[in-house]
Amino acid sequence: MTLSHYLALSGVLFAIGLFGVLTRRNVIGILMSIELMLNAANINFVAFNRFLYPGRYEGHLTVIFIITLAAAEVVVGLALVMAIYKNLKSVYVEDYNILKG
Amino acid sequence: MTNLILLNPEIILAAAGLFILLAGAFIEEARAKLLFHLGTISALAVLGMIIAHAAFSAYGAGTMWILDPGAQLFKFIILTATVFTLLLSVNYAAIQPRHIGTYTALLLWASCGMMLLSGAMDLIYLLIALELISISCFILTGFEQKNPRSAEGAIKYFLMGGLSTAVTIYGISLFYGATGTTSLFSGASAVGLHLNDPAYLMGMLFLLVGFGFKISMVPFHFWAPDAYEGAPTPVTAYLSVASKLAALGAMMRIFASVIPHQALNITLLIAGLAALTMTLGNLTALFQTNIKRLLAYSSIAQAGYMLIGLVVADPIGRESVFFYALAYLVTNMGAFAVAMIVAGRTGSYELEAYDGLARRSLGLSIVMVMFLLSLAGIPPLVGFIAKFYVFASAVNSHQFLWLAVLGVVNSVVSVYYYMNIARRMFFLESRDTSPVETDIYTACVIGITSAATLFMGLLPETFMRLVKDCVSFHL
Repeated sequence: MTLSHYLALSGVLFAIGLFGVLTRRNVIGILMSIELMLNAANINFVAFNRFLYPGRYEGHLTVIFIITLAAAEVVVGLALVMAIYKNLKSVYVEDYNILKG
Repeated sequence: MTNLILLNPEIILAAAGLFILLAGAFIEEARAKLLFHLGTISALAVLGMIIAHAAFSAYGAGTMWILDPGAQLFKFIILTATVFTLLLSVNYAAIQPRHIGTYTALLLWASCGMMLLSGAMDLIYLLIALELISISCFILTGFEQKNPRSAEGAIKYFLMGGLSTAVTIYGISLFYGATGTTSLFSGASAVGLHLNDPAYLMGMLFLLVGFGFKISMVPFHFWAPDAYEGAPTPVTAYLSVASKLAALGAMMRIFASVIPHQALNITLLIAGLAALTMTLGNLTALFQTNIKRLLAYSSIAQAGYMLIGLVVADPIGRESVFFYALAYLVTNMGAFAVAMIVAGRTGSYELEAYDGLARRSLGLSIVMVMFLLSLAGIPPLVGFIAKFYVFASAVNSHQFLWLAVLGVVNSVVSVYYYMNIARRMFFLESRDTSPVETDIYTACVIGITSAATLFMGLLPETFMRLVKDCVSFHL
């Protein structure tokens, strides 16, 4: 396993996540796709740290921060999904169309 | 030496937020409005601290964050916007008394994040500041729980914001891979070393995209009109002023000073995006029938004008952005304050609500016209000086003359939709002729902002000297 393997994996994950965000209709699906993109970045950090800068810890450390941030963001996101589900009884983005102009 | 003492203003603000959150759980509902005042007082106290240390410059924790006049100016803007927002919120009916504590605390925390962002010199630090802003603002946007518009605005803002965060983080990971550090300042991240490294360039581009979302730069602006329309009006004012200017300040620091975009060879890209942002913002604003959406698209266009200063990026360009930020703060805040009053009386944010407003409240109509003229850039108001400053910097650089010309054309287009509101106020009739009253807190905000709009336009020298002193990022 070399650095390129990890980078390819993270690139593919990021692309899948981006594709998911742009094409999914279900809000939960979009949330999951965003998580994929965040984890792609995490793989990058750890792989760069392991292969290019061994003996230092910035990469590992950043990943801990990102995992925490992602958790906080998902909590708020799910709360907002609950709020809109109570109002509109739908988790599909095409039903969220009160605001337009 | 970690210099943690330099973060005192932020720490005090965050602690005040915690205290208000706790107090909100125990206070009687009849007295809950006290919490707004408590928030205002703590923001004012921190504002005092910032002004007292205005000319201070230092680093904290190695080069994690920085304190310099440029950062202090943006902190001043952010805190002023926070005070205005809190004053506007006092009599905003849709915030339930038992949630006032939460609301105030979230506003203070978002401001804390913005203050951190304005001094960020390390990408992890910057990321945490950005997330603090985003998460607080997502909740604030969806604060009217029973209102489906608020929920929809919030979810759209959240999905777009989450995407932008993910892109930013991926960019930071590439930056880390190329340089081995997350510090923007360290010699390892200097542009010259990595100019041919695609990972470095990609990292910076992804970072640009992340900031683009925050300042609602075209083509990353889709969330802005929906979030602005759905959010409670004081929060809309806050998002359009504080959130946008804080991100712009950080963008100026990174792309015009620490890692200049000329060195990255992406100047033309940013220039193109600035041109697109102002043109698309103005053209879409022409067709809006809702005041909040209209002001949302207008604020997109305003971001486009400010980006011109970033494109030019010489000292004059930077000064012009700083001045524009001050002008935008008072003008846009005032416009949203009037919109809130009118909607509070008529129950509608549609432009029809402005028909015959001059008969119902002449004073309110006159200040609204003043704010709109200032946004359009008509002398002698501050908006004119700010636009003149930005366009002059572009002309001065020769290379970006075309941006200045496009900016002037755009300003002319914008006069149409701004003056359409003035026409409705003065020349149309409305069936309802009851007077529109202003409560004392909103009147206070409108008074201060309109005085500043006029005064800064008539006597710009003082403020120009101020921004000149602030412009040198300490580095």
